[in-house]
Amino acid sequence: MKKYIKLLNFEFNRIAKLFVVLLGITFVTQIIGVIVVSKNYLNMANEQIYDERINKVQFLETYGQMSFLQVVRSLWFVGPIALCLAGVALYIFLIWYRDWVGKNTFIYRLLMLPTTRLNIFYAKITTIMIMTIGLVSFQLIFLPIEILVMNSMVPNEFRADLSVVEIVTSILELSIIIPGSVVELILFYGAGLLVVSILFTGILMERSFRWKGIFAGLIYSALAVVILISPLLLQEFVLNGYFYPSELLVLEIVMGLIVLGATIWMSGFLLRKKITV
Amino acid sequence: MKKYWKFAATIVVIVLSIGTYQVNSAKSAKQYPEFVIKTLSGDANEIKPLVLEGAYTDTTAMNYVNTNLKIASDGSTFTNRSFLNQVIGQPPTMIKELQEEYRTFMRGKTSQVSSFFEDNQILAYADIDFNMGSLRLRDFKFDISVLSKVDGHTESFTVEVPDSGELEDVYVEDIQMIEGELNLITQNIRENNDDFFDEKHIYTIDMANQKIINHEAIIKVPHGQDDKSFDVQLIRTSPKKANEHLIIVKTERKVIKDAESIREEVINQEILSYNLATKKKERITVPDLRLDENQLSFFDGSTIYFMTLDGVGQKLVVTPYSLADNQIESAFNLQLFGEKDIVYGQMTTVKDGKLYVASSQMTPKIKADVIVADARSGETLFKGQLALEGSPKEKANFELYINEMYVN
Amino acid sequence: MIEVKAVEKNYGSKKILKGVSFTANKGEITCLIGINGVGKTTILNAIMALTPINSGQILIGGEPIDKHTFEKITFIPDAITMLPHMTIAEAMEFMNDFYTGWNQRRATELLGFFRLNPSDKISSLSKGNTAKVNLLLGLALDVDYVLMDEPFSGIDMFSREEIANVFTSHLIENRGVILTTHEIGDIEHLIDKVVLLDDGMVTKEFNAEEVRETEGKSVIDVMREVYQR
Repeated sequence: MKKYIKLLNFEFNRIAKLFVVLLGITFVTQIIGVIVVSKNYLNMANEQIYDERINKVQFLETYGQMSFLQVVRSLWFVGPIALCLAGVALYIFLIWYRDWVGKNTFIYRLLMLPTTRLNIFYAKITTIMIMTIGLVSFQLIFLPIEILVMNSMVPNEFRADLSVVEIVTSILELSIIIPGSVVELILFYGAGLLVVSILFTGILMERSFRWKGIFAGLIYSALAVVILISPLLLQEFVLNGYFYPSELLVLEIVMGLIVLGATIWMSGFLLRKKITV
Repeated sequence: MKKYWKFAATIVVIVLSIGTYQVNSAKSAKQYPEFVIKTLSGDANEIKPLVLEGAYTDTTAMNYVNTNLKIASDGSTFTNRSFLNQVIGQPPTMIKELQEEYRTFMRGKTSQVSSFFEDNQILAYADIDFNMGSLRLRDFKFDISVLSKVDGHTESFTVEVPDSGELEDVYVEDIQMIEGELNLITQNIRENNDDFFDEKHIYTIDMANQKIINHEAIIKVPHGQDDKSFDVQLIRTSPKKANEHLIIVKTERKVIKDAESIREEVINQEILSYNLATKKKERITVPDLRLDENQLSFFDGSTIYFMTLDGVGQKLVVTPYSLADNQIESAFNLQLFGEKDIVYGQMTTVKDGKLYVASSQMTPKIKADVIVADARSGETLFKGQLALEGSPKEKANFELYINEMYVN
Repeated sequence: MIEVKAVEKNYGSKKILKGVSFTANKGEITCLIGINGVGKTTILNAIMALTPINSGQILIGGEPIDKHTFEKITFIPDAITMLPHMTIAEAMEFMNDFYTGWNQRRATELLGFFRLNPSDKISSLSKGNTAKVNLLLGLALDVDYVLMDEPFSGIDMFSREEIANVFTSHLIENRGVILTTHEIGDIEHLIDKVVLLDDGMVTKEFNAEEVRETEGKSVIDVMREVYQR
């Protein structure tokens, strides 16, 4: 356990720089987005009210008030989130391959540590999870700051104020990455963890058997997915909707845990017996 | 310890940030407004058994997220949009209650109220099953289950639909169990030499040997033509009661094409009563009756309540017709708010001689009626409206849609 | 004692090791000699469980390798096993963090011996100094066995001398060492035991001192006999 924490901290410090860079890009781009979108709205309002001689009430009736959702729906806001997503996705692979590739043979060191090799797996997967949840957490901190910036630019009567919760729940994509209840949080991020662990196992297969391992990894992933969705397939094609949705959810959770267990076992086996530097 | 600070700081941020969000999220769930049925006149006890179900949207910030809610005499309850609730789904109240009571029987059954029939003795279910053929559906089969409430025994079987090859599509519209015979009333789309027909078909299944012993088309109309259109409606009944008769309204319309628009004009409306026991059809004549397409009419087994809105939607015109006596009873009107902007109209149901009417739409500008009246005499027993409890937020803008009315 | 028993290893259809067996004792320096590509590095990797073997067995102190073994045996590959952006001090801290057998006094001694500056970044070091850091990280562990892969290859003459000096010092004493090399020249006098490899097999395993005394031959003489036959 102590070694796991140490490894985790070590892995986290290795991504800290990337993490901070992603956060920086997100914050700066989103703030610019808030300013640009607010300015656009204000310019439009000015144009309509002063040039077109429409009064304020009429303007608000036709164009509506500005809400932070307009910012959220802009590329300024979504773009950096997509970038962070891509960063995390890339890092799932990089977190293993960078220890092998190039002149660095850090994987020698990792594999020779006097601790169970699964700790390497655990440390890396936890790092990915912390990085992901960390990005989300900082986004939640950025939101009120960005709302403050908008509020300082757009006058009260032109503005529909929304709370962070209202903003997040209005956008489906946001409400998936930032679930509103603990149950969803566990289910969604548990599913994420499962996906990453399957990818990790695929990577370890490639690292163990190289070319053949890529195929093995793909077959393994496909198999994992089939097992995972087998209750859904059965429900749809064999049992004609025999299970109630709540039962199906429980079955899916059980399947998820089984696949997660199998994946961790497989990774442990590969790291102990099949991995090659 | 120095080298742990980044990690520790990130964990602290995660815990605080996600934790705060979760707390706020839990708090905001309680911030839904409270809807009540406000009494304008009459006895508030009359709405005790009434449950209205629908969806609420706060449109203040152009934020179109629906939340399901139920409104009863004691106020409103919102089903929060949590993932779990979405997974479990929102079947109609009757289905939900059946699922709770007959969990095993209800497995793998659709949530369509019209697929069920329930009385004191049995709970029957029928649905249509088919194979996806190339370009068309094939091999229609009835999937039938009947649960005996007396001994808890379930009988399940499938029956092939006769002449399945000529059918384009089949929907189960109603089920009636009459004296050991299960009657399935279906809407069939039939093809005949490239001409398409809609028909109401009845299949009678003998439960003892699980075979179709009789089937016939009750009414058959051609699919939309250039200058004419036909509409055949089965008058709604309660799925919790056996009815010996089916009431069908056939409307024939002339399509009038102007340079600017296409209008339809009713040229003929026929009302048929079909006796499930004797398989006899009979025509019902109600002078001066022009039913609209709103499907407001209701049949409670002995009396047909023909209901239609007057031209401007100010009044609900109710014409009771006693099937036993073969005669019209005195028609009456129920006064409605008659909101001009209303799109979704009214909902009606009759239970135990009482007529329940509710408007299916409410916004801060559109008022929604809730009326209970004596179905025979038309005497208004309760008149009320949906209202927000307390003083609503100044800027609040919302839309409320009622899509189900349920009387316990 | 490290026992390598009938180890076979394939890369695809190619057989790299065709049943290699030898032993290496504690307190002795055992040298695996063979031309490049003969499988020397593979043997060391296999001993450390860094690559799977197809058949055979490897025992360290009579036991198959597990996580605890890494406190008893260490491997110094021919490339640095630390992240290039770390300083020497950080690398030592990492070792201290994870190994109970890390001996900081010995590490400090080695720093002085090799004249290394702990605040230097590993990526900024010369090839010779990188090799010395690598050696330092391995030798500062209190382990019974040290495996070294080509400790002298590609290193300047002076560094080579310094490294060679380590072998005669107390830093190596009492430990079992297995090292690989493809040129015996500089270190012939250091070696206790020689394992000659050719074509994935051990062609001869002998004690250098014994051969010198009884047959009057140097290691190179024996190699010449074996390879020119």
